[in-house]
Amino acid sequence: MAVLGNKKSRISDEIPSSSMADIAFLLLIFFLVTTTFPKDKGLAIVLPEQAKEQEVSQKNVLHILVNPAGTVTIRRGESEQEQTVSPGEVEQIWRQDVAQNPNLIAAVKTHPDAPYRFMVDVLDALQSAAATRISLQILE
Amino acid sequence: MGFKSGGLERKSKASSQIPSSSMADIAFLLLIFFMVTTVFQKDRKREIEWVQAEESKKIDEKQKDILNVWVETNGAVYINDALRAMEDVSAVVRPLRAESASLVVSIRADQNVPYRYVDGLQKELVAAGALRVVFAAELEQNITRERR
Repeated sequence: MAVLGNKKSRISDEIPSSSMADIAFLLLIFFLVTTTFPKDKGLAIVLPEQAKEQEVSQKNVLHILVNPAGTVTIRRGESEQEQTVSPGEVEQIWRQDVAQNPNLIAAVKTHPDAPYRFMVDVLDALQSAAATRISLQILE
Repeated sequence: MGFKSGGLERKSKASSQIPSSSMADIAFLLLIFFMVTTVFQKDRKREIEWVQAEESKKIDEKQKDILNVWVETNGAVYINDALRAMEDVSAVVRPLRAESASLVVSIRADQNVPYRYVDGLQKELVAAGALRVVFAAELEQNITRERR
């Protein structure tokens, strides 16, 4: 065993395999932790059931008309008065109006040629104001 | 290497340690298993400009219950990587709706899509009974908003 020229054999000539497990587990844990499944984000809404249209008293309706240019026309119930605002101002209007009438329904009527993003802006504003009764329609 | 002990200690010949060399193999197998079974985005990404919304919330539904419906600027509707005519959407969605009661349809429309297509899509979804809808939107950062 103890031959003079045989010193090197004392040092193991193998790659230490015991630490390989640690490395592999570290990798495993790293990937387990860093893997994030891309969760979709968005504005959730529940559409009304088919053929279940409800008659709503006009005084409980806040008409929100989305124009192709991105402006928003507000009409309250039956009154002829119109008010043109930006999508962001809808939040404030909703908060004011719903304080006076808790049964208020937001009827978002979008012009067929209006870009989708303006409707989303209005919907975003309504959801920021915690509106739950929202009706999405197309302007006819 | 060195057998320092005498012949009497027979037991020491069988290693008293758990063999650690195979542990690496086990760990790598696990690693490879998870890498292979991890499924990312089901369908191909489409070139759309996302809408922005501050109130966009994460969809709390399992990935398999989310159906992505893409709407491109020209009104083309894609479901599961296949181009569908607007009239066929309800026929496509209905069997999927029957499969899972908690189906959520994620509408991924380009921000410049004329609203008539989105409205048409909504009507089709209502006809198919898929009432839970999410307007997929990117979270609007405070910096990017100028309107408030």
